[in-house]
Amino acid sequence: MLKIKHLNKSFHTKKILNDISLTVQKGKIALFLGSSGVGKSTLLRILNNLETINSGTIELDGAPLDLNTINTTHTVGMVFQHFNLFDHLTVEQNITLPLERVLKKTPTEAQAIAHNLLQRYGLLEQKNKYALQLSGGQKQRLAIARALVMQPKIICLDEPTSALDPVLTSYVANNIQQLANDGYIVLVATHDTDLLKKLDCTVYLMSEGSIIETAQSQELRNNPDAFPRIKRFIAGDE
Amino acid sequence: MIIDFNLIAEYFPVLLQGLIVTLQIAGISCCIGFILGTILALMQTSKNPLLQIFVTGYVIIIRGTPMLIQIFTAYFLLPQLGIHIPALWTAIIAIGLNSAAYISQIIKSGISSIGRGQFEAAKVLGFSTQDTIRFIILPQALRTALPALGNEFVTLIKDSSLASLIGVAELTKQGNFIKSKTFDAITVYFAIAVLYLILTSTISFLVARLEKRMNIHAQD
Repeated sequence: MLKIKHLNKSFHTKKILNDISLTVQKGKIALFLGSSGVGKSTLLRILNNLETINSGTIELDGAPLDLNTINTTHTVGMVFQHFNLFDHLTVEQNITLPLERVLKKTPTEAQAIAHNLLQRYGLLEQKNKYALQLSGGQKQRLAIARALVMQPKIICLDEPTSALDPVLTSYVANNIQQLANDGYIVLVATHDTDLLKKLDCTVYLMSEGSIIETAQSQELRNNPDAFPRIKRFIAGDE
Repeated sequence: MIIDFNLIAEYFPVLLQGLIVTLQIAGISCCIGFILGTILALMQTSKNPLLQIFVTGYVIIIRGTPMLIQIFTAYFLLPQLGIHIPALWTAIIAIGLNSAAYISQIIKSGISSIGRGQFEAAKVLGFSTQDTIRFIILPQALRTALPALGNEFVTLIKDSSLASLIGVAELTKQGNFIKSKTFDAITVYFAIAVLYLILTSTISFLVARLEKRMNIHAQD
């Protein structure tokens, strides 16, 4: 279980995150919804030690999470908005390099793990292609596979559908849902309202660094009027 | 005919000796320049202000003074410091140190062209700083820098002729020797020019091939 308590983040005098508190259970998806610049990506970047916090605590399964060592303990994985794949490496090398250099696996072990992951994400036939040669959807899947290779407990996806064809959104939603079904804690930052319609998740609507409304996606679908701010956002009025 | 091909044929073994020395100077200077230039580029792109200042100062001094003066300085200064090495090695070191300054700036530009996202992806995956540089940043930076590096290597081959001025028997020096014996300057300099042209064209061709090979995966 991931527990974030009273998280605050400022750049100089500008408040980016304002007293964020929430809990995400194992195997559940937290979807942070909001326009650009409301702080949702910053929250994910904080969890990956790409930004620092001013105050607040983060706990995982009851123990405090040390953000300074989070990259070396591989607790959190990140799928970036623009994927940030290693374009000079092949699809397979994008998976095997961190296995060999970071987890100190032998090349044979790394290739076996990569084989399984690439098969699972339908990329086995592309394994000798360079990351740059993949389509948007394939890049997305490779980025997820690369994040999973370190066996994190939490997976963060920053705007996972922004670089994709709308047709692929359903496919990506299935992949994200599958991550939760596999037991990962999944955090998604998005402004894509189509994505939330396809996920079984908790929606956190953010504005100016604060969570201003929370809803379970099922409840939202059944009774949208109970969540006026989210409803307005989906309608494009907020 | 202005060009005496019989003379070229007669003195070709002498020119060949000079060509081998030129290749030695260019090859070893190139290695020194590339290795030191890469280290300087990494120092300049590090977060340590002292290293940055050191590299900036080094580059200003090397780029702001003629290479000939640097070769002469090395030639006369090293013995004063108790370092007695052959003129060939003095030239190699001076040209290598000069080239390192230029190469450092080329590689620094290559590193700067790599997006922040690559560093962030490596950090999130838990790569050490050394592995990030070695496996992720430098390979991409060198690919970007390759055309400029090729130009630098071509320049280095031509600059190696300055070693003749401290008595190194490289191609130009051997040419001067033949000219003083035959008094046929046009034929000798024509032959030397053709040999330099073959060397520089070969380097340009190899760099272009390498560039094409490295970019081949960028094509869909």
